[in-house]
Amino acid sequence: MEWKDYLLRRSAQLLLTVFFALIINFLIINLAPGDPAALMAGELATKEYIEAVRERWGLNKPIPERLVSYLLNVLQGNLGYSYTYLQSVSNLIAERIPVTLLLTLTSSIIAFFVGLLLAVKTSQKAFSKVDLFVSNVMLTIYSIPSFWLGLMLIGIFGVALRIFPTSGMVNVRSTGSGVFLILDIAYHSILPIVTLATIQVPIYYKIARNTIVEQSSEDYVSTFLMAGMSTSSIFKKYVLRNSLLPPVTVFALHLGYVLSGAALVEVVFGWPGMGRLLLSAVYSRDYPLIMGIYLVTSITVSLANFFVDILYTLLDPRVRYK
Amino acid sequence: MRTSIVGAVIALLLTISLTSPLVVSQGLTPKLGGTLVVIQVGDPKSFNPDAQVDDMGFPIFQNLFNKLVTLDIDYNIIPDLAYKWDVSSDGLTYTFYLYKNATWHDGVPVTAWDVKWTFETINKSKGIAYSWIKASNIKSIDVIDNYTVKFILKQPFAAFLSFLGWYGTFVMPKHMYSNYSDWLDPKNPVLQKPVGSGPFKFVEWVKGDHVTLEANPNYFKGQPYLDKLVFKIIPDANTALSSFLAGEGDVLAVRPPFSEIPKLNSTSGVIVRSRAVPSQWYIGFNLLRYPFNDRTLRLAIAYAINRSYVIEKAMSGYGFPARGGYTSAIKWAFNSNATLPNYNVTLANKLLDDAGYKLGPDGIRQTPNGTKLSIKYTYFTTGPETEAIGVVLKEQLKKIGIEVTLEGLEIGAWEQKVVKNRDFDIALCDGFQGPDPDNMRSRFALGAYLNFANYSNVEYYDLLQNASVTTDFSARQKLYWKAQEIFVHDLAYIPLVDLVAFYIWKTEFHGLPWESAGKVNYNSYALTWWEKGKSIEPEYIVFLKNNALAIVIVLVIIIGVVVAYKVTKKKWSGKTTS
Repeated sequence: MEWKDYLLRRSAQLLLTVFFALIINFLIINLAPGDPAALMAGELATKEYIEAVRERWGLNKPIPERLVSYLLNVLQGNLGYSYTYLQSVSNLIAERIPVTLLLTLTSSIIAFFVGLLLAVKTSQKAFSKVDLFVSNVMLTIYSIPSFWLGLMLIGIFGVALRIFPTSGMVNVRSTGSGVFLILDIAYHSILPIVTLATIQVPIYYKIARNTIVEQSSEDYVSTFLMAGMSTSSIFKKYVLRNSLLPPVTVFALHLGYVLSGAALVEVVFGWPGMGRLLLSAVYSRDYPLIMGIYLVTSITVSLANFFVDILYTLLDPRVRYK
Repeated sequence: MRTSIVGAVIALLLTISLTSPLVVSQGLTPKLGGTLVVIQVGDPKSFNPDAQVDDMGFPIFQNLFNKLVTLDIDYNIIPDLAYKWDVSSDGLTYTFYLYKNATWHDGVPVTAWDVKWTFETINKSKGIAYSWIKASNIKSIDVIDNYTVKFILKQPFAAFLSFLGWYGTFVMPKHMYSNYSDWLDPKNPVLQKPVGSGPFKFVEWVKGDHVTLEANPNYFKGQPYLDKLVFKIIPDANTALSSFLAGEGDVLAVRPPFSEIPKLNSTSGVIVRSRAVPSQWYIGFNLLRYPFNDRTLRLAIAYAINRSYVIEKAMSGYGFPARGGYTSAIKWAFNSNATLPNYNVTLANKLLDDAGYKLGPDGIRQTPNGTKLSIKYTYFTTGPETEAIGVVLKEQLKKIGIEVTLEGLEIGAWEQKVVKNRDFDIALCDGFQGPDPDNMRSRFALGAYLNFANYSNVEYYDLLQNASVTTDFSARQKLYWKAQEIFVHDLAYIPLVDLVAFYIWKTEFHGLPWESAGKVNYNSYALTWWEKGKSIEPEYIVFLKNNALAIVIVLVIIIGVVVAYKVTKKKWSGKTTS
């Protein structure tokens, strides 16, 4: 019973959060500097022409009126039409979701496991030379900007060695179909995935390593040792399990940003993902499209938080349903 | 010292690049076949070519559609759908005679009715060319027969043909739009899958990645040489350059960083050509604000700016110092006698001293009103040079006791602050000033939206209005020359740099738009051909050759991951049992 109530309460909270995010997004976007009508009309337009464009897209109406009609539309599942692409916002977003997830989800999973594996290996000989070396390397990687790493990889593997393509999603000269298309997309995604994964590894590594080191010095470990358990089984059964919570939390929270968090890397690799869609929408003040992407992002962020809370209650029995 | 070396290198570059491709192309017969990949920075918006400003769609539309007349690389008016046209002596009636064998890509003939519908819709639905072709000035569009159409204007408009040949004036297929009341109705599939009349047909658009076109075998001016024309979209200039160098593209239409241009030029198999274009960087003063409404101050600032130095420092030497009141790239309209003040710091200082701008204790002048002469330079952050120009201005105006602070804004915010709210001191702007000097009217004159300086000299405005309706060529030229004299006297705006455009492509391609003056529009690849020609190998062999590396590498990685997984699993399970 308690469990059901908790779920219900959290779901209501989730909806409320998204609703407020929607209103705040609408206001911020509409009050931000930049006039979509003037941008759409072009540099040589007359004032009369700009007014005609403003009227065409209903931008001459007062903000409260537009807010109400936007909210009513969203409640009916209609995110409106993009000013620039003249397509429904939901279609534009839906097209980009799998393309972006291929990069972000894959790289997050790789980073999670690589970080964890490294942490497990080095923490067993904590503060040894190897451990310090890996820690320092991780710190260096952590401070590398993603776009710079991307450009370096393109320079080395794309231009100098010509092993990987520099950009895009497919080979535009001869695009295959079926299995070949899938292979081609996989091939083009390798460098961006490596870039994204590399910059995320240190996060998981650092958290996992520190927790493992901390857990290994807990009293229960000494107790088990004295009771005659082997180090490896203590590690596997207790230490590792207890150390998983923080990295899993970070991973889950990261999932909130899987849709629009890879914009820089998408730009560098010319990858047609959601981040780039958002950037171009912002530059052209495509209000419906910006709001649609923000809405989807606020939903994913809220959902990620929601799942983290649920996960806690499952993984850690001490967390009460409050 | 460094200055002169840079200058020499550029001079050499310009001469080499202007001559070499012609030598290469001569004496070769065009071959059929091949794919040309053009790397460009962004996506088109939709495939209605006349409804929206769409600088990324435009180069694609130029290959998919036709206009009545079009402009070649020198901005000369050349035939397109109309093989000839007559203009009545009063300048009010334009009669166009259309090619009779032109068809839409779905086989329907292109007729005068399409032309009539297109321009009536531009007027009714406020197409993007509405302002510059003066659509409301068109009294009627009469279809004489299926292949003859007559435009009757209310008032003569000298730049009518030039603007018809430019932007937002593509003739569109009436039959694809007739079922929709709005030409931007998102339900109309033709907005995503266009039906044009041009040398290339639409194949696919993968948003954010590429647009693919294929040759139109029934093109009314003859089938193009290439099989396929691909526009590959890469938003980052560095990546675009890498992609070009890695052989993924054949024409680099994303301007690389200036510093990379000499290296590109010395890369074998690559041609870099530059040419002056009718675009300028210019600054404008806020004439609504004291002290910028004082002409003496503006004149002193004009004297204090060394325009050649701006180009060397901010643009690595690529560009020409602006000389007068209009771009020198439109030669007939440019008045070389109406010159901007030449760099002279002593004179600038003297002017300010005499006008009562006294030097303060901190080396910064004060206005006669006693306020500190500290001004803000507002620029948009579209590329590194907009800020770099500001840095140079700051350095140069320091020498005449004026302090400059820089304010960089995203372009939409810049537009709002500078153009709409007039909340600035001096601002940087650029833009295309062709294809006809009538552009000055929509840019700098009284009442023009983009006239952010609020330049309101009535004589200047009258001259441009007059020139706009004057059909006699030399009378019109004189009006523009006079207007430029006033412009450089008033100095509401100071032109800084005449811009240079770069054309970068692979030597194995010939007949590019910029090599085909007088024949095709400045983006059309209708006459472009590949020296390797069509492959004799079967298609699947070509495909495998193109993709072999991809297939091998992906398979190796998949196998590697599986093996690694198996090995670690074994190791782990081995440990547990121990």
